[in-house]
Amino acid sequence: MVSLATTASNPSKRRVTPSQRFDRWLLERIRRRRGVTQLPRTFEYRHIFVLPSTFGVGFGIVLGLTAVGGLNFNNNMALLLAFTLISITLMTMFLAYRNQVGICVLGIGAEPVFAGEQAEFQVLAQNSELRNRYAISVKWSTAVGNGGSGDCQDFAPEETRKLKLRLPARQRGYLEMPPFVVENRFPFGLFKAWSVVIPQARCLVYPQPAHNPPPLPRTGRGDYGTSNKGDGEHFHGLREYQPGDPLKRVAWRASARHRKLYTREMEAPREEACEFNWYLLGGRDSEEKLSILAAWILRAEHHQIPYSLEMPGDALPTGLGESHRDACLKVLALFHG
Amino acid sequence: MASRRISTDQRSMLWVIATLGIAMSLQLARLPLGILLIAVAPLLWRVAAEIRQWEPMPPIWRYLALGLSLLLLLTSYGNVLGRSAAVGLLTVMLAMKLLETYRIRDARVVVSFSLFLAATQFLFNQGVMTPLYGAAVVATAMIALAHLHRREAFATTREVPALGRTVYSELGFSFRILALALPAALALFLLFPRWSSPLWGVPESSLDARTGLADTMSPGSIQQLFIDDSPAFRAEFTGPVPRQDQLYWRGPVLWNYDGEQWEANFWSRNIEARERPESTATSFRYTVQLEPNERKWLFALDYPVTVPADTRLTMDFQLLRKTPVTQLARYHVVSNPEFIDTPNLSQVLRDSALQLPQGLNSRTRDLVETWRAQIPDDLAFAQRILRHFNEESFHYTLDAPLLGLNAVDDFLFRTRAGYCEHYASTFTVMMRMAGVPARVVTGYQGGWFNEFGDYMLVRQSDAHAWSEIWLEGQGWTRIDPTAAVSPLRVEQGSLGALSDPRHMLDFGWMRSVRNGFDVMQRSWNDWVIDFSAADQARLFAPLGLQNVDPKGLMAILLGVIAILSALLMPLILKIQGPRRRSALQATWLRFLKRLEKAGVPSRPSMGANTIADTAAQSLPASAREIRRIAELYNRYRYSGSPPQFRELKEAVKSFKPSKAMETA
Repeated sequence: MVSLATTASNPSKRRVTPSQRFDRWLLERIRRRRGVTQLPRTFEYRHIFVLPSTFGVGFGIVLGLTAVGGLNFNNNMALLLAFTLISITLMTMFLAYRNQVGICVLGIGAEPVFAGEQAEFQVLAQNSELRNRYAISVKWSTAVGNGGSGDCQDFAPEETRKLKLRLPARQRGYLEMPPFVVENRFPFGLFKAWSVVIPQARCLVYPQPAHNPPPLPRTGRGDYGTSNKGDGEHFHGLREYQPGDPLKRVAWRASARHRKLYTREMEAPREEACEFNWYLLGGRDSEEKLSILAAWILRAEHHQIPYSLEMPGDALPTGLGESHRDACLKVLALFHG
Repeated sequence: MASRRISTDQRSMLWVIATLGIAMSLQLARLPLGILLIAVAPLLWRVAAEIRQWEPMPPIWRYLALGLSLLLLLTSYGNVLGRSAAVGLLTVMLAMKLLETYRIRDARVVVSFSLFLAATQFLFNQGVMTPLYGAAVVATAMIALAHLHRREAFATTREVPALGRTVYSELGFSFRILALALPAALALFLLFPRWSSPLWGVPESSLDARTGLADTMSPGSIQQLFIDDSPAFRAEFTGPVPRQDQLYWRGPVLWNYDGEQWEANFWSRNIEARERPESTATSFRYTVQLEPNERKWLFALDYPVTVPADTRLTMDFQLLRKTPVTQLARYHVVSNPEFIDTPNLSQVLRDSALQLPQGLNSRTRDLVETWRAQIPDDLAFAQRILRHFNEESFHYTLDAPLLGLNAVDDFLFRTRAGYCEHYASTFTVMMRMAGVPARVVTGYQGGWFNEFGDYMLVRQSDAHAWSEIWLEGQGWTRIDPTAAVSPLRVEQGSLGALSDPRHMLDFGWMRSVRNGFDVMQRSWNDWVIDFSAADQARLFAPLGLQNVDPKGLMAILLGVIAILSALLMPLILKIQGPRRRSALQATWLRFLKRLEKAGVPSRPSMGANTIADTAAQSLPASAREIRRIAELYNRYRYSGSPPQFRELKEAVKSFKPSKAMETA
């Protein structure tokens, strides 16, 4: 199995901030207590944390100053203003909580990507209640710090939406989804209410295709090729004319004989099939070989040339099309020699 | 403009600018013109820059603007440490900050400190209309913060989704939050323990002494108060109300004259009165609500019997408080008008009451000597001067010409026109020339009795100056030379004495509106502004709790918060109880439950059709029914038709599947 390209791959060794340390501690605690988050997960009061944001702390300090000044000068209007703002601030704490409670994470999915691209995890979340939810966002837990990006959505009543979490896919293999948070700071950004999700999801990462691969090995023998009907130089057979067939392809002589229009069916030369073979790539580095194979597969698909793949311990017969391509790439992604 | 849509970023910035603009608005009239311009200009520039999408100002311009405005601040405010200057500085800095506010963080700093700026405004004005100002600032700030929050939250997505909100609904949103927050705010206001003594005092150097009587008097100093209609104080009498000509509210008493300006005497301010008047049946009893004037005098009628707390009664019967009046002050006074002030004048005091600058006003001195030779009696001599004011062509006017070095000569023989300070000053100087001890008293004269509120309102425009001369056997005796020139001044108050309106907006009906308004202002002062630690301690007296101490208040506050929370928590948190779902959803869930009972569980990620397919396979007997329910559900859920789904309800009601067979 390929090494996990997941946790704590912080490229620049930055200083760990106190808030990061707190997040790590919290994440560890949740992991120990509850383990992996079982989906679907509806956020109840015990899943939601609420703390002031950085802005909330600064705002609180300004309010504190206002209140102390008002108390000192016994200025009742200044006090009334300060107390009103304090009680609004405290109320937004509940509003942030209320905006989060009852959100349900239904499931998580990810389409395969190539190494070097961004893996995109899609979190399916639902607002099961009859009220709006504002600015619900998903972010990677800062405890992980992986340089990915998050997403944010408004939810109408009883609406289900997809939230995207991106993460750079650096290595081929399975990219395990790191922990993430569902968070909101409604309405003023003074408090953040968040829930930690430790998912059990992964994204398949194909090897990065080589930039300048050697030319396609067009060594395929006819036996392996499916006939590629339509264009080509070689006659394959006759079939009844269908509207849309080019006139120059009509078999006039045969048509005259049978008083019915016939079209000549042609096929591509059968040697236009490829054979991708691990053992024929010589003494290259194995990752490089995988890159070349990946690039070939893509190129063959692009030119619509059928191809087969032979790997140590695994072989796929000649084929073409999306599912064939994905099967081949998956073999490359999970290869370990 | 009409064709261009305002983006969410612009909108949030405009709300931030609006917050600062409204926070600034209350003081605009008070700012010096230069400061006003540099405070408003950045706002206007920034609004234009947002709408026209101008580039940010180059840093060099910003620093230049900042440097210039600091220079202007230094030169505009005489007292750099004063509160006005500090608030002016805060205002200008915030306005300048707008020029570089492009990030969410900076915008939030501007909004937070705009709220702080609003709080500082209440140091200058706590009038009955100021809550409206406070509410406007808070509401705008909330909208700005809500916009900034959305910008922050949606920073990762391409643009902030519009909520389809109008300005109207945004205001509705913020006022709803404000209304929800008010009960807790009021509980905090009433119950949060106040400090009975301040942690740090107001340094006297920081006071600007912006209104009211000064502690010196020179020509023009009282005259400038005449156009100021703001209340100086209010007095509520228990018992008899004095006649108009008895309403001399004593303020600074001035002894020293330098030829132009009258000043207080060091001794007279610092030596306490030896003899105190006694309370009699004819004494006036009243309570004064004094507007903050940042000076130490408490105004009272002659002669105060009682002395308010932290106040001393000086030998010339001024009431001087230890600390300047920076808050609304309330004190009770008993005044005995029949008291004889200083029957025996000591030589030291006599000398200071006769002091005059040497070699000035020789014509006046000649005139006084001529009259004095004919009239040896002191009181008769005083009346001779008053008669002179009355009979010769002296005018009581606001347009007093400037006086030269020999101010008294100039006034007496040349200009003959002036306001009360001219008459009081001239009269006192002449009495001193004649060898009669005399001094100037400044204060307020008169007052307007407000029938609605049953109290006496004294305005700044009632400021007045008069004289006191010392007479053998009668002590210090009040003489008001202005009354000799213009008897109306004393009979009808300062407004009655001048026929011309004082300024453009000086109409009779506006004055009566103002007077009615003052009743509101007074109750506001009584109930809100004057609410103090002492009132807090008495708050629960009706419930039998006398003198609640800060600890007790805190306990009650926590109790109130606990009760409020207990009432509100379940509503806010929804810890328990069913979540609100639409009736349609509830019906569908009932259907799912029945399926589950029948052995066909479903997961929330499954759509209606998927569920129906699996269920129909497992329960072939009810397949038709299941498909019909799913179809009905889909139709009601997604067609947007009116919420009448009796058909679905009945279908679910009658759906009673038998247990699924174990297939596979």
